[in-house]
Amino acid sequence: MNEIALLQNYLIVGGLLFAIGLVGFVTRRNMIVMFIALEMMMQGVAVSLVAWSRFHDNFGGQMLVIMIIAVAACEAAVALSLIVMMVRRSSNLDIAFWQTLREEGQEPTLDVEVPEPDDEHEDWPELTPAGVEPELKPEQIGYRSRV
Amino acid sequence: MFEIEFLMTAIPALPLAAALAIALAGPRILKGASHTVLVVALALSMVASVMLALQVQEKNQEEAANGHAGGAVVTKTLWHWATVSKANSAADVSQATAGGEALADSDSLDFAIDITLRADALTAIMLVMVTFISLLVAIYASGYMHGDRGYWRFFCYVGLFVFSMTMLVLSSNFLLLYVFWEAVGVCSYLLIGFWYQKPEAAAAGKKAFLVNRVGDFGFALGVFLIWTTYGTLNFHDTVTVDGTAVIDGVLGANRIAQGAFATGGVATAICLLLFVGACGKSAQFPLHVWLPDAMEGPTPVSALIHAATMVTAGVYMVARCTPLFDAAPEARYVVAAIGGFTALLAGIIAVTQTDLKRVLAYSTVSQLGYMFLALGVGSSAAIAAGMFHLVTHAFFKALLFLGAGSVMHAMGGVIDMRRFGGLRRLMPITHWTFLIGCLALAGMIPLSGFWSKDAILLATYEAGGTGMGSWEHAGTFYMALFVAASVTAFLTSFYTFRAFFRTFYGEERIPAEAGHHAHESPLSMTVPLMILAVFAAGVGYVLHAGGAFENFLAQTPGIGAVSHEAAGQAAHADGHGAEHASAHSFVMSLSIFLAVLGIALAAYFYIGELKQIDRIARWIRPLYRASLGKFWFDPLYNFLIVGPIWLLAQLCYFLDRYLVDGLVNLIGSIPPLAGRILRKSQNGMLQMYVLATVVALLLLAAALVLPQLPATEDDSSRQAPADPAAVSWDEGRLEEDNAGRVASAVRPSLRVEGNQK
Amino acid sequence: MTLAQWLAIVAALMGVGLWLLLPRRIAAGRSAGAVLVTAALAVLGSQLVPPGAPGTVVANILFYALAALAVGSAVCAMTFRSPVYCAIWFAMSVLATAGLFLIAGAQFLGVATVVVYAGAIVVMFLFVLMLAQPEGHAFYDRLGFEPLLSSIVAAVLVFMLTLCVLTPGTLPNEAPIDAVKVTADGEAAKPVVLNERHVAAIGQHLFGEHLISVQVIGVLLFVAIVAAAAIATTGKRSEEAQAEEVVS
Repeated sequence: MNEIALLQNYLIVGGLLFAIGLVGFVTRRNMIVMFIALEMMMQGVAVSLVAWSRFHDNFGGQMLVIMIIAVAACEAAVALSLIVMMVRRSSNLDIAFWQTLREEGQEPTLDVEVPEPDDEHEDWPELTPAGVEPELKPEQIGYRSRV
Repeated sequence: MFEIEFLMTAIPALPLAAALAIALAGPRILKGASHTVLVVALALSMVASVMLALQVQEKNQEEAANGHAGGAVVTKTLWHWATVSKANSAADVSQATAGGEALADSDSLDFAIDITLRADALTAIMLVMVTFISLLVAIYASGYMHGDRGYWRFFCYVGLFVFSMTMLVLSSNFLLLYVFWEAVGVCSYLLIGFWYQKPEAAAAGKKAFLVNRVGDFGFALGVFLIWTTYGTLNFHDTVTVDGTAVIDGVLGANRIAQGAFATGGVATAICLLLFVGACGKSAQFPLHVWLPDAMEGPTPVSALIHAATMVTAGVYMVARCTPLFDAAPEARYVVAAIGGFTALLAGIIAVTQTDLKRVLAYSTVSQLGYMFLALGVGSSAAIAAGMFHLVTHAFFKALLFLGAGSVMHAMGGVIDMRRFGGLRRLMPITHWTFLIGCLALAGMIPLSGFWSKDAILLATYEAGGTGMGSWEHAGTFYMALFVAASVTAFLTSFYTFRAFFRTFYGEERIPAEAGHHAHESPLSMTVPLMILAVFAAGVGYVLHAGGAFENFLAQTPGIGAVSHEAAGQAAHADGHGAEHASAHSFVMSLSIFLAVLGIALAAYFYIGELKQIDRIARWIRPLYRASLGKFWFDPLYNFLIVGPIWLLAQLCYFLDRYLVDGLVNLIGSIPPLAGRILRKSQNGMLQMYVLATVVALLLLAAALVLPQLPATEDDSSRQAPADPAAVSWDEGRLEEDNAGRVASAVRPSLRVEGNQK
Repeated sequence: MTLAQWLAIVAALMGVGLWLLLPRRIAAGRSAGAVLVTAALAVLGSQLVPPGAPGTVVANILFYALAALAVGSAVCAMTFRSPVYCAIWFAMSVLATAGLFLIAGAQFLGVATVVVYAGAIVVMFLFVLMLAQPEGHAFYDRLGFEPLLSSIVAAVLVFMLTLCVLTPGTLPNEAPIDAVKVTADGEAAKPVVLNERHVAAIGQHLFGEHLISVQVIGVLLFVAIVAAAAIATTGKRSEEAQAEEVVS
């Protein structure tokens, strides 16, 4: 294998993953998606480390990746419990809710306009009925919760 | 007997010391007794002035006995103020002389200012008059200003004023004269605006000072011109620093003896500029507008400053510079014209005024016009007549003002003649002393005003007959001025007695403000009135008889028979003895007639009801309206001068406030602006902080790493090495030893020659 | 065209594409964004040197496919508006990355990544999303915070990283793994990483040289469990206490 080229390409892939993760972390307002972006940044770093490990024929890089995986797991646990607690307070996953730590006299960042959800997949798939159809409550007809 | 040098220093020093003492001790210690310090100081000063006059007379007689034709001058240098050595070279100065002879071109002149006092006859006359009137006014003011909040401040200012005025007449240097010229202006401003919380008084003080400033500007230019023409500003002869040569003063003995004065355009310019200063100080047209407004000040101030002393400083200065004016007869014509015109103008305005003090103010302007008219005629008799009128005018005008003050005091501050009347039974002393003053002002024989006014009219008449100077129409000119002066004499008598009859005769009316004041004034006010009445009545005859005043004044170097021009005129006048006598009797009878006519008409119109005067006022309606509106000088000046300057000031204010302050505020608003922008980065959003961190890191990395990158040339070898032979693929091999085990291995790899990718 | 110019074009295309794809107030141009990002990645891919030995095809295809999948699913994970889709795309990206690990000779890590990330962490995300997500799409999923600025930052970052990596002379000229190693006996040494007994070697290395780190990691995991439990339950208890206070 062309080791130098391999190294270069892996570094570039790792860098791209990191940059995309950074964009996602800064831009998205859902706390879970922010966390996903965080994990993606760590994946980019891991890719770089593995490439260097192969290049130098040394296990040091891979050891660090193992540590990174472990630490990522711990961090996910603690962070998600914090997120759960924050959700209890604010009853939503929006990080813009938590912005009181700011300069005195500065106005809060408020949503001026919220774009409408595009009505996608309003048409439910028509399935062959199998068995007895359940009794739907009136409010459930015509509405399906989306995740 | 005290030495004359000591007296010269004591006369101004005593009022100055009194003013300082009152300033320091007045507010807390002296309070209501502040006047005692000043009265004592002024009394001592007055005694010293009288002694000075007597000693000057002695010295004059000594000089005459020794054969020196001119009078005696005693100078005393207090200290040396400033010197700029070699400030001017004799080549540039046309009239610099030393010991009577012109200097060589290579000689240089020093600009030396000494604090030198000078005593001669003119000075003595002025000093006696100033200190005496000041003393009486100070005694009067102790009664008039009783209970005023600024009682001590008043006497402090008066002391300062008397110091300035005495120093003005004693100074022997044009620059020193200018300094004290300004000082009396400052004291006048302070005293006019004494009740500074009254807006009219503050405005009047400002107006007086500013109009005086216009005159002082001309005076300053005249002083500059004297320096460049004569090389020195001293009146007296000075010794050069190394003691070798004597630089002749502008009015020094040598120069007067030689007649070494500049002539022609320069001389006329000097004299006219000095006269501009005199116009400002002595309220002549066109700078007369401040004097009527100055009546906002307390009445003792009006009596002292605006009747007797400060306004006469201009007359004094022109009289002092007689040798300069002798060398420039064209300037004399201007002086006479302005004097005569002002006298007539002020007389017309005074006829319609309803405020008693304003009538007296315009009367002052008119009488000062008479004095300048006399000085403008220029013969020695005329100059003596002008100074004589100055002295007598001081007495009776001060008397009239103090009497008006007494009336104002009794009427509770009301001085509008339409609101009171018939006061002769209420205030008898004021009534009789005021009558004496009015008769003196009107020029009724045998009171003092008659003698002096008669002398002026005579001199003008004679100049009208014989002409004066080199102008061929001088005779007609002076005759026209004589007619104007006679008309003014009639008007003077008319308006004076109009005021007198309206105030003291007719039905008794007392305004509501009088309250319990409506009685005769206390002794402190009536005694000065009586003393002044005695002098106003008698001083004229006493000084005129035997020509005592004329002879005394003629002992002043520069004035009198010593100067060339005047000598010629005096011979001229004496030569026509018979004509002189007939002219004299004509003028005397004319002036008596005019005075009596004025009194009679005033009595006819103003005792009793005033219907008929209204009819006459309607006949001459335009002239009446012009007179009542004071010939609209104030609106004219407002429009021409004050308006544009106010606009300029507003422009500067806007420039200052919006441009300069705006610039400063702009610079000052940069930090808050920067803060407002930078503060947006601290909005509490976590993601903003992350973004900021990343941006900073990127910048740091870019700064650190990018310069270190090895330069990349334009590479076509990006894709693959151009030369396939440069790249070799090594298959690798396994090497076995003879036992068949792998001994060594070389792994397959890519080898590239040259530029490694 | 110099390297810097190529990379600038790539970065610009990627930046604009990302900006168009990110959830914004005016959500137009998503398809255009997708096209731009694809184009950028294609251009970048064409500039790379194939990593396989000359003549090999499978290695190159594998690498390019896995790399494209990884980066593409990363982009999708960050730009979809539904958070569940984001999580699923993230799982996809993790799988592609695991494939990349396998190619690079880190078999253990590849499998470990799949187990931990795609198996545990993504499932945890989905659980929390089920817990906390409101009915329907939330408004905060349709908005982004400063999408323009972050796209610009990402573009600059990509440009700098690729420039540093691709400029000839920044990386060593000789790969240490290509150097022939000789053991003490004079035999050819076996490679360390690309060993046929890779997992045993990695285990030996892990519990040999990095034993302390392993212990520490164990403690860290334990602490994390305790902390997560403490935070979640304490928060619940204090909330109940607050609710009781309000009621009473």
